[in-house]
Amino acid sequence: MGEIFTWLLFFFILIALVVLVVYQLMCLADLEFDYINPYDSASRINFVVLPEFITHAVLCLIYLLTGHWVMFLLALPYLYYNVRLYTRKQHLVDVTEIFNQLNWEKKQRLFKLGYIIFLLFISLFWMIYNALEDDEM
Amino acid sequence: MGTENPNRANNLQGPSATPFAAPRANMPISSSHPMVGSQTSAFRPTSVPAMPNASPFSSPGPTAGSGTPGFRPMQPGRATPSYGPPTTGPPQRVPAPQFSSTSQPTPSQTSHVGQPILPPSMRPPPPSYVPSVPMGSPPQSLYNAPSSNNPPRSFVDSPYSASGPNIQPPPSSTRPTYPGYPGMQSNQVNPPPPPPPVYNQGGYAPSQPPMPAPFSSHQGGYGQVPPVAPSSGMYGGGSAPPTGVMSGLAEDFCSLSLGSAPGSFDGGLDAKALPRPLDGDVEPSSFAGMYPMNCDSRYLRLTTSAIPNSQSLVSRWQLPLGAVVCPLAETPEGEEVPVVNFATMGIVRCRRCRTYVNPYVTFTDGGRKWRCNICALLNDVQNDYFAHLDATGKRVDLDQHPELTKGSVEFVAPAEYMVRPPMPPLYFFMIDVSISAVKSGMLEVMAQTIKSCLDNLPGSPRTQIGFITFDSTIHFYNMKSSLTQPQMMVVSDLDDVFVPLPDDLLVNLSESRPVVEAFLDSLPSMFQDNVNVESAFGPALKAAFMVMSQLGGKLLIFQSTLPSLGVGRLKLRGDDLRVYGTDKEHTLRIPEDPFYKQMAADFTKFQVAVNIYAFSDKYTDIASLGTLAKYTGGQVYHYPSFHSTIHKDRLRHELARDLTRETAWEAVMRIRCGKGVRFTSYHGNFMLRSTDLIALPAVDCDKAYAMQFALEETLLTTQIVYFQVALLYTASCGERRIRVHTAAASVVTDLGEMYRQADTGAVVSLLSRLAIEKSLSYKLEDARNAVQLKIVKALKEYRKLYSVQHRVGGRMIYPESLKYLPLYGLSICKSTALRGGYADAQLDERCAAGFTMMALPVKKMLKLLYPSLLRVDEYLVKAPTVDDEFDRVCRRLPLAAESLDSRGIYILDDGFRIVVWFGRMLSPDLARNLVEEDSATDFARNQTRRTTSGRVLSTLKFS
Repeated sequence: MGEIFTWLLFFFILIALVVLVVYQLMCLADLEFDYINPYDSASRINFVVLPEFITHAVLCLIYLLTGHWVMFLLALPYLYYNVRLYTRKQHLVDVTEIFNQLNWEKKQRLFKLGYIIFLLFISLFWMIYNALEDDEM
Repeated sequence: MGTENPNRANNLQGPSATPFAAPRANMPISSSHPMVGSQTSAFRPTSVPAMPNASPFSSPGPTAGSGTPGFRPMQPGRATPSYGPPTTGPPQRVPAPQFSSTSQPTPSQTSHVGQPILPPSMRPPPPSYVPSVPMGSPPQSLYNAPSSNNPPRSFVDSPYSASGPNIQPPPSSTRPTYPGYPGMQSNQVNPPPPPPPVYNQGGYAPSQPPMPAPFSSHQGGYGQVPPVAPSSGMYGGGSAPPTGVMSGLAEDFCSLSLGSAPGSFDGGLDAKALPRPLDGDVEPSSFAGMYPMNCDSRYLRLTTSAIPNSQSLVSRWQLPLGAVVCPLAETPEGEEVPVVNFATMGIVRCRRCRTYVNPYVTFTDGGRKWRCNICALLNDVQNDYFAHLDATGKRVDLDQHPELTKGSVEFVAPAEYMVRPPMPPLYFFMIDVSISAVKSGMLEVMAQTIKSCLDNLPGSPRTQIGFITFDSTIHFYNMKSSLTQPQMMVVSDLDDVFVPLPDDLLVNLSESRPVVEAFLDSLPSMFQDNVNVESAFGPALKAAFMVMSQLGGKLLIFQSTLPSLGVGRLKLRGDDLRVYGTDKEHTLRIPEDPFYKQMAADFTKFQVAVNIYAFSDKYTDIASLGTLAKYTGGQVYHYPSFHSTIHKDRLRHELARDLTRETAWEAVMRIRCGKGVRFTSYHGNFMLRSTDLIALPAVDCDKAYAMQFALEETLLTTQIVYFQVALLYTASCGERRIRVHTAAASVVTDLGEMYRQADTGAVVSLLSRLAIEKSLSYKLEDARNAVQLKIVKALKEYRKLYSVQHRVGGRMIYPESLKYLPLYGLSICKSTALRGGYADAQLDERCAAGFTMMALPVKKMLKLLYPSLLRVDEYLVKAPTVDDEFDRVCRRLPLAAESLDSRGIYILDDGFRIVVWFGRMLSPDLARNLVEEDSATDFARNQTRRTTSGRVLSTLKFS
């Protein structure tokens, strides 16, 4: 029974990550279509960048603590990428150059989104699998 | 029906009818075929079979033919596999004996001797490239015959890219130096394999000893150049009249022989023949000529006034495709931009694309509608704006509407173009008063200059002014008009800066004039004995921001030490030699602390433009400080190791110009263009407020902005592309205005036409900006290579256009419009911002030059890249009385070592500083008259003075 709950927890954390990344993408899209100015856009994005990184780090930690090695390994590249951005101080959006970097920032976040959704589906699969198994018992 | 129809019709025909139809249609045929014929007949009957071989290549079109096979020939190894072992025996002599006797009497020997001379002087060939040359060869052996008169690709690509494009002109039909080559000739007697019309080889191949290494064989190739260059000899022997061919050459492109004349021993490159821009920048006439209603090219310059119609054409035009805009360029007397006031009517604009009404819109439907020239939407003409059309479709009141006849016009903007009441001109000074500022004399010069400019500040009587000084504390000055002396307030809490008396720090200049003058008078003496070495730059910047954020305006920062206290403190960096050449090199050129970028963004948001004046003799991290200017539309002035006796005049001049030139406040700029074309990137000192809106807190005549555009569709269907620059700004008089520049450019389908209408100035301006931007994220080396590669590729592409039709081997060919491009390309690479490595320019100077070049208008940029050099001693000795004689006596000299005579005095003027060069053998009298006694003994070294050219001359004359 506990297994289901851990998968459920993973699932919700991943949903939170998806929300954070989608929010950033929305800000960038709004900026591109001139709905908000670069100052607001950059400050909104920068506001959620660290929470996103921390959420993911926590997720990795829980994977590790609950002994889900494979999931941990799957999530590791993303963590590494975040840490690298952070140590190089490139994690925040630069308001002065935001238009020049728009394409790259969008691409980067789209990849992240795809990655998270991939994890999400795996989590979903295992959650359902576990639920069915529990049922059988 | 439309007002402008006649003109439009002309315009449409203009480009297609005149410039290219004629030469392109006739020339290739008339010139190429006779040529082949002439060669064959002249050289040897055996090469007749080569004719069919040659024609397939020319028939698919000039470029196709030259593109694929044209560049293959130069491979040393290629002959060997197919034709057997290289033999340097008699067989080669057999086929073409008469040729070797006529056109290459000596070449084999001379070229040999020439080899060692030529290469070292012209190019340091990068070793890495060399091996690549023979690599790709084997499969091309098929082609080598017909393509023999084409330039080998390897030349263009490899050895030259290192040394710059203007020496790229390769050898041609005569490259027999390869060991493998002779074998081909011997085979040629046997029938089939593409019988090469390689006429000359037989002539001298045998006498060439086989070259051991591919590299030296290249050099051999260079040495051989000459025999082809004097092509007249060959033509003379042939049946085709050489004159027709030559005139064709002259029409289409310029060429430059880079090989030595046959029989001569010197390097072959005639330095005098190199094109040099001694007349300064020449604007292309086609821009205005074809579309007389275009705005003047001082406002808007396109890199080529012929817009390519397809993506494939864009990709073949290797240079950047874009525009350089200088919206407020200085106008000569009598050509001021007319001001149009629509008053209550509101400004006439297109409903959909918001284009402003301009000379290219057409009125239809009896004058009731007008068609937007950019988006083709039919707009209603407002009742107030209505006028009948005459028989030719023109509005009857055309002469009363400058906006319908002139490419540049200013509209008075009504209230809907304002988000707040127009701001007054505002100057705020933030002055470093630490010990180095006082010692260098900067404080005194600056205070005097500001005082002398108070009368001329634009916008009187609304102008506002304020001052902050700082060392380890921040000093505010209350200058309320009721006071007689300014009141100083010191804030020493750097962590939590606050502004005392927020209302009285910025005062109206005309009201508080006595107080301001009293302050400026006492400023130098006030800090005379200051021994404070610290600089609380960051906190002072924040304080200035708080004071200015209400109104915006211009912030002038005078900084002479490295910021050392509070937020935004900076470290010494840049003296680490090891960083150069590594991937981290560029980090030295970008701001270290995000504080500066953030502040710059905030400044722009509140309409504050920052100008930095930096004076230190030590490292001040211009890379970080300059960021403030970069994103606020400002400028960086750098005076390395400022000393008031030397640099006084320059500071005075530049500060006075900064304060008194006409300035546009709280501006935004947008450039629109027709359907199918889109602006993709913008380069310059500004911040983008949305994808295509440039925010400029303050803009003046010395700022230009570059942008690149791309085609959105694969094929443009329109005949003309229109560009419209609109600058919305507050004039110093307090009026909100929109300055609109409109230009049209024709769409072409032909690459040659694009090159013909290219504008070197704009190309160079854009290229240098791209290179500087590149140097912010890559190594300097990469930035320089990128420039060279672009130019080389462009010239190579151009060569492909013509090398098939004309025998241009051994000559570098280039369009007349781009004749200075290689020279300027090299100048870019040698400019302060990009040259060399660690030791060649101080990091601060490099960064400052980079910021400056990002803002310069085309003309000033070209002058900076290729300064004018004048010899003045004759002029000084004669002491002429008439002023205008100066231009006659002193002509611009080419910037070459030969121009300098050790008996003369020279002035080098790059628009920012003047270098006076005293020759070593200068007559002592003259020198003593010019320089003080003690330094007269020492005059052989360079003397540097910085001021405007006129002033230096006068000081020289009278001292």
